[in-house]
Amino acid sequence: MTRTTLSVRNTPRRILFLYRRLFGQQLKAILEYSSDFYVMIGAAAFTQIVGFLFLWVVFSRIPVIQGWGFWEVAFMYAMIYFSEGVGSLFFEGTWRMLRLVNMGELDRYLVRPMPIVLQIFCTGIGMNGIGNIAIGGAIIGMSLYHVDIDWSITSVLSALVVLASALAVRIGINLAANCSAFWIRTSGNAFPIMVHNMGEFAKYPITIYSLGLQLFLALGVPFAFVSFVPAAVLFGKEDWAAYGWLSPLAAAYVFGIALLLLRIGLRRYESSGN
Amino acid sequence: MKKYVSLAVCSMQNTLSYRLSFVLNFLGSFIALLATYFLWRAIYDGQSELAGFDWNQMKSYLLVTFFANSMLSYYSESGITNKVMDGTVAMDLLKPLNFQKARLAESLGSCVLEGLLSAVLISVLAIAAFGIPMPVDGVSGILFAISMLSSILVKFGIVYCTALICFYTTSGFGVIWARMAVTNLLSGALVPFAFFPDWLRNVAMALPFQGIVNTPTTIFLGMSDTREAILLIAVQWFWIAALWLLGRSMWGWAVRQITIHGG
Repeated sequence: MTRTTLSVRNTPRRILFLYRRLFGQQLKAILEYSSDFYVMIGAAAFTQIVGFLFLWVVFSRIPVIQGWGFWEVAFMYAMIYFSEGVGSLFFEGTWRMLRLVNMGELDRYLVRPMPIVLQIFCTGIGMNGIGNIAIGGAIIGMSLYHVDIDWSITSVLSALVVLASALAVRIGINLAANCSAFWIRTSGNAFPIMVHNMGEFAKYPITIYSLGLQLFLALGVPFAFVSFVPAAVLFGKEDWAAYGWLSPLAAAYVFGIALLLLRIGLRRYESSGN
Repeated sequence: MKKYVSLAVCSMQNTLSYRLSFVLNFLGSFIALLATYFLWRAIYDGQSELAGFDWNQMKSYLLVTFFANSMLSYYSESGITNKVMDGTVAMDLLKPLNFQKARLAESLGSCVLEGLLSAVLISVLAIAAFGIPMPVDGVSGILFAISMLSSILVKFGIVYCTALICFYTTSGFGVIWARMAVTNLLSGALVPFAFFPDWLRNVAMALPFQGIVNTPTTIFLGMSDTREAILLIAVQWFWIAALWLLGRSMWGWAVRQITIHGG
């Protein structure tokens, strides 16, 4: 066999095909343990509803916080959960990296002719994502209904670009944070969870924070592009809407860092002897 | 008694040897505190008081809540559920120890470290940024200390009973998440009860969760006189006893549900 027959071109079409197949396999596996994920879906949805009640209680006392109304903040809040849901349902594998590294399971992935990131993404499915997507989507829908927005072709297009970038930023952050598995050899993924918790900041308009924190949320771990910037673009907040153009750049930046960390990490990866 | 004390010491040492995870977990909840601090600061911008709380009282409220919440954190809670999830509970069944008392001892052991770490952090914050009025006189100070300790026991009761549910669901995370969401809302950790609509406040006051955050904060802020404070603590102890008994009867039921994987 010559070398040319072995090499496979990873065209976008093939990647999508592989993703569907890998995802389907995981789905079969998880459906074997169904009582487990009903609890997960319920818990995720419930957590979100409680947080929504908190916003509602606060906004029943004062109508506007620094120029942002209830439904506008609710939108940001829901974007954090919605993006988290998309991350768990379709890209849960990032959260399994610790196990892949510590148990030496990455070996299997390294010898297959597929992009390693794709295989990492498809290492699991977080059914709790369904709860987050459903409730988050519902709150997003309600806030779009309650806030007056001029819909036009341009606004719909820019909304789509900004929302897609928001999801990409979130997933990129997950991937980058979980690359810590190559360096921090503990049994729990406390570091990525801490980074994940930074999303708490982005549940509210970032203008309420001190300048240092704002810069951190825009440039360091850019959670601002997950919730705040999409809200500014959609609701036409003139001071901030221009940042929407940076959204795709932010996504590229986060993914660039994540892939770089993965590469450096893989060089350190030393399998496990058995 | 001695064996339970040594269990508590063991769990303290255990926490210390996984200190990186412990500290990172702790920082995670600290981030949530910062986010809510800034949110409330923005809310109080231009308001002198909301629902009977001025900005200074709200800051104290946030810090006391953080302190109460950092006790028996996710870190020690998942310790109990993990026993059920990964089947190590089988080992505990063989030991001549009362399961419930042993878990209490372990939880209290790690609470010492959780308490120390958050006390340090809170004092730094209080001096650096917040500027918190401390309870004025000795009596309310002592009552606050008692209510804080009781709060840990109430929380243990709730956490323990929830952990036993895992015998039935075999899903750890989901149950813990759901418990956290309920506790956050109904203990007053998200927002003081004074902000609630009446019906929700009445529901919350009738449930054990209020003993975790609402009681210590009310006493700390001096929003109750001595008689009311003692009454609130009595209610905490009612729930501690009730939850302990509930936990005991649930255990009797749970061990019959047990599924151990592998051998």
